[in-house]
Amino acid sequence: MSAAIELQGVGKRFAKYVDTPMLVSSALRWRPKTRRDRLWAVRGVDFTVEAGECVGVIGRNGSGKSTLMTMIAGITGPTEGSVTVRGRVAPLIAVGVGFHRELTGRENIYVNGAILGLGRRQIRRRLDAIVAFSGVEDFIDTPVKFYSSGMFVRLGFAVAVHAEPDVLIVDEVLAVGDLAFQVKCFEKMNEIRASGTTVVMVSHHLGVVRRMCERVMLMERGRPRVVAPPEQAIAAFHEVLTEVTDTVVDEVSGLRYEPNVARIETVEILGPDGQRNSHVESGLPMAVRVRATVVQDVEDLVVGLTLLAGDGTTLYSDSTAGFRFGAASAGETVSWDMQFRAQLPTGSYSAVARVDRPDLRTTLAYHPPVSFFVTGRHTVTGVADLEAVVVRHDGDVDGSVSTVVDPSPGALLAPDPR
Amino acid sequence: MSGARGQPGDAAQQKLARMAVTQRVERGSRVALEARDEPSAPRPVLALHGESTSPAALWRSLWRSRELLAILARKEFQVRYRRASLGLMWAVGLPLLQSLVMAVIFSKVAHIRAAPHYVVFVLAGMTAFITFSAALGPGSTAIVDGSDLSSRVYFPRLLLPMMQVATNLYGYVITLAILLALCPVLHVGLGLRTLLLIPATVLLVAVTAGFCLLSSALHVYFRDIRYMVAAALMLWMYVTPIVYPPGDVPGLLRGVLDANPMTAVVDLFHMATVGYGGPSELTVVVGVLWAVGLLVVATAVHCRFDRVFADLL
Repeated sequence: MSAAIELQGVGKRFAKYVDTPMLVSSALRWRPKTRRDRLWAVRGVDFTVEAGECVGVIGRNGSGKSTLMTMIAGITGPTEGSVTVRGRVAPLIAVGVGFHRELTGRENIYVNGAILGLGRRQIRRRLDAIVAFSGVEDFIDTPVKFYSSGMFVRLGFAVAVHAEPDVLIVDEVLAVGDLAFQVKCFEKMNEIRASGTTVVMVSHHLGVVRRMCERVMLMERGRPRVVAPPEQAIAAFHEVLTEVTDTVVDEVSGLRYEPNVARIETVEILGPDGQRNSHVESGLPMAVRVRATVVQDVEDLVVGLTLLAGDGTTLYSDSTAGFRFGAASAGETVSWDMQFRAQLPTGSYSAVARVDRPDLRTTLAYHPPVSFFVTGRHTVTGVADLEAVVVRHDGDVDGSVSTVVDPSPGALLAPDPR
Repeated sequence: MSGARGQPGDAAQQKLARMAVTQRVERGSRVALEARDEPSAPRPVLALHGESTSPAALWRSLWRSRELLAILARKEFQVRYRRASLGLMWAVGLPLLQSLVMAVIFSKVAHIRAAPHYVVFVLAGMTAFITFSAALGPGSTAIVDGSDLSSRVYFPRLLLPMMQVATNLYGYVITLAILLALCPVLHVGLGLRTLLLIPATVLLVAVTAGFCLLSSALHVYFRDIRYMVAAALMLWMYVTPIVYPPGDVPGLLRGVLDANPMTAVVDLFHMATVGYGGPSELTVVVGVLWAVGLLVVATAVHCRFDRVFADLL
């Protein structure tokens, strides 16, 4: 089996246009001021994806992931190096594969299918499956400009996967659509992977990447930093997140990272007795103890905690936003405990501590995940232990006497003593 | 702690975590879900070395997309008149109306020395010129206007201006049929010379395509092209011998007419219908040179920028 995608020394340089040159103004000026800032969005990528492989690409915003995808899709050419892709490519880049707003859903299926390299007959044969999968049966003869964004995505995804491409490129689109559709998408993704389609996916949802991909490439400033199995690449990504030395602004969310104001020194997991213990029993109190050094005076801080499941899924995230934590002056050491009950089933978890400014848009410090292990009750599975109590009624529900069948350790809901 | 502050995407991640649908698929277990339609069809290979495309590669991908061009042009044509109750009538009605108005104004009001069969004379010229201007207007902005499509998937970008040319050919064919049907009614005899419409159409399409391809590529870099084309088209009609026979135009205008590639096209249309006002050898040579030159330059430009346009949209 030959390689499906080969990237050799691939680089892409963009001119950072301060303003688009205008014929008249650039003619009047002594020399055009643009084109001075050039920027390598991607550089030095040597990477091979075998046919049938599922590869994930992760990295911070602006690390070159999407640029790399547009090159693999052939939308844009590399400034240096070579890109070779064997087989038909179906790119799912941003919402909607490129629909004509005035055309109906059905007509767009034909147009899109033709763009993806299908003939009319091939499209006609797949039409019913595409329509059924997208779930827009009732609107299939309505111009897509009247579609909701969810319908747009669903139809786009449906066409792309039913085109039976040899290479499917998925750039951050799977998180759209409702839950039922996401389930369908993942089932379909697994199905097309089983059929031998090569998949390259870009995602910020590390849990998804971990579950779907066999190999993950971590991009950093346009260069591949790590190519490894998902767990290792994700761990490396967490390191990258703490290495930043300049203020970084995420242009999409508007969130900023401002280093050199505060530094989280240690994060410890405490058991119910207040001692360091990374093994915790489900239902008992525990705490995350954080010690931070303040580098510059701050009026107020917001401290936050995020708990991640073993696969990277966020289980819980909260902060002191809206409450006053208090000022701190340069050089001061600040520490705090975040106490909660470990209402979790058996498994490994990690805690991420962070310090924000009260504007809630600026993160000052961030600590990589610290792992802990929860020994849960053996009957509990899932992501949270809600400590349900089972109460049996005598006869019908308004029977007066009830029996507690399954008392949980921290049951809040006492049986109604009627 | 209070005041939930989730990171973006937390909700979706949590949802996904609850779904137990994603067991890893064992690699190598190639299950044939359904037979692929074209087992013998060669798999296309995309090989990019640098930003420019070789003419041969551009031609190959253009050839592969010929069906796409037909679908896009047909849909574009349908969309244009879809919401109008009179529909297709507008595609034909507007050029006819415009030609009639011109014919009446220039012959009855401005008292231009009316040539024989003046209405057909104007109509023939206008049929050609309107096809040209109706394609060049949207054609020059086609790549930028099609950014919805072209920033998400690859196809040769020159399909977008070509689509505008092809779309207008539908209207052109219908208008031409009406023109030819009107000729006997207006006592214009048709004959062997009517076959001149074939080279005339070829030249018309070549000149139109050349201008559309080149201006649409330039428009990605210089957005003034949109306005320059609009201004040029306004003037262009009057330096093309549509409403006046080219015969005795003096001085500077003569030179402009000779250098105008549309002169040859319109003159051929005149010759094919009313049977006079045919092009001189000079204008035909100029027209053909323009068409070939434009197509060569436009192809070179598209080879260089085909895979770069998307970066600037």
